[in-house]
Amino acid sequence: MADGDRIVIVGAGVAGLRAAERLREQNFDGEIVLIGDEARRPYHRPMVSKALVMGTERPSDVGLSHYLPDLDVHWRLGARVTHLDTTERVVHLPGGESLWYDGLIAATGVYPRHLPGAPRHDPRVRILRTVEDSMAVRRCLNASKKPAVVIGAGLIGNEFAASMRHIGRDVTLIGHAKAPLHRFGDRVSSGIVEAHHEHRAKLAMKSEVRHWISTKDTVGLHLTNNQLLVASVVVLAIGSVPSVDWMRGSGLDISDGVLCDSKLFAEGASDVVIAGDIARWPNLRFDETPRRVEHWINAVESARHAADNLLMGQSSAKPFTPLPRAWSTLYDTRLQMCGMPSLAEDTVTLADGITGFIRDGRLVGISSWDKPRAMLDWMAELDRRLPAPDYVPEPEPAPAPEVAEVPTVEPSPAALAADVPPEFDSGFDHQAFEREFESEFANDIPTTAFPALAAPPTTAFAAQPGAAAPPTMAIPIGR
Amino acid sequence: MPFRLPGGGPRISVDNDRCELYGICAMEAPDVFDLGQDGRLRFHTRLLDETTMEQAKMAARCCPMQAVVMRGELDG
Repeated sequence: MADGDRIVIVGAGVAGLRAAERLREQNFDGEIVLIGDEARRPYHRPMVSKALVMGTERPSDVGLSHYLPDLDVHWRLGARVTHLDTTERVVHLPGGESLWYDGLIAATGVYPRHLPGAPRHDPRVRILRTVEDSMAVRRCLNASKKPAVVIGAGLIGNEFAASMRHIGRDVTLIGHAKAPLHRFGDRVSSGIVEAHHEHRAKLAMKSEVRHWISTKDTVGLHLTNNQLLVASVVVLAIGSVPSVDWMRGSGLDISDGVLCDSKLFAEGASDVVIAGDIARWPNLRFDETPRRVEHWINAVESARHAADNLLMGQSSAKPFTPLPRAWSTLYDTRLQMCGMPSLAEDTVTLADGITGFIRDGRLVGISSWDKPRAMLDWMAELDRRLPAPDYVPEPEPAPAPEVAEVPTVEPSPAALAADVPPEFDSGFDHQAFEREFESEFANDIPTTAFPALAAPPTTAFAAQPGAAAPPTMAIPIGR
Repeated sequence: MPFRLPGGGPRISVDNDRCELYGICAMEAPDVFDLGQDGRLRFHTRLLDETTMEQAKMAARCCPMQAVVMRGELDG
């Protein structure tokens, strides 16, 4: 990109904002146009299923900040791009408006998946995506004392159920899996079942809706386990689909998100980069299969990386190789995830509350049940065991502007220098693996990869008080 | 690095009503934040140089609860 160029960012969520911020940090001095279909400036969407729906945060307080003296962005809010033309380099907007670009950053995110048969025309059948959605759910709750119902046993479904119990509303969670959050491993799954029972949230697992009864006054659900529920509000949280309809006919591969190369450039376009939930790219830290990652921190990191790469150009750009991280709060428990647990064929208990996810004898992911301190050590350990591959730039003498580091996603120099751990046999032997893990971890001395550690990871858990310990306050070290 | 008068310059604070002690900030900004073995978060309120400044900004961006508040001149 050169002076006077225009970069258009489609999608004004966290990824769009962080991409714009990064462009300015890298001293891009052309025009930035940020287009978003919501009427609001970027806000903290994770609060929609938690603080906003509970009413503990107001919509005006959840906006996202940028950390620049001046972002200098032209906002086009409340406008949905209807079409993308990558040949003419134009995005089309309603009313016949068109906007040319020199570079495009697409970050339109995902939309909640529709449940076939659900009467979305009933005002009590809702989704949770925007601030307005959370306000609509609150209106339904205020209009009726009947229980809330949520369909879907993923993170949003469980968060919503916990939020309802937090404000004293009865809630039933319906899911067709055998247990909520089962893909996070048995420890997390059994923990959340227990937490729901303890807080008297009802679970209807291995169930689906057989009939909907939508009348003027109420909405009822007849489940396949023969339960009949009458609800004040029904929230659909059964996953999401990428919002990529606007790219139909552009020549880009939008079969599941947007197919990208490892540098987040859309396949078939050298001036289009993709950020956030819709980017389907090969994370070379794991393998060469393109996948999407629907995590909030990934939106921050991919947006900054995509902005860097767009400014550098495709030939000198660098692959995006993060360790994906995610979190959720369920009741008072902090649930965390790192890496790609979905790739694993097997799980292993690494420590109290910490589950490791194994593929081909290699650790590819970790989940933790209320162990944030230990999780820091285990994330450093995963980074050491699964380092980002060294990137050899293509032998083209391109003028390389100084590349700002992408914090934390790259292994520290110390981690790279550390000995490569011995590979496990490709034929996975569970017992041998566990023996190896015990011998490696139980007696692990702190390596140079995490010099800040006072104690090796295993002892870190012992030192940590159990779930009973209340979260303590953050303590400023004042001067 | 220009000399700054006491009380001036960029500062950070943490909104304790929001913070849930995930420690993402300690990962992004190890020179600024520390999540102790006791589960407490300790942090420096003054950002003295560009490294800690950039680290702290990244911590603020990645904070799951958006609890890190930055004040003062942010242009480093």
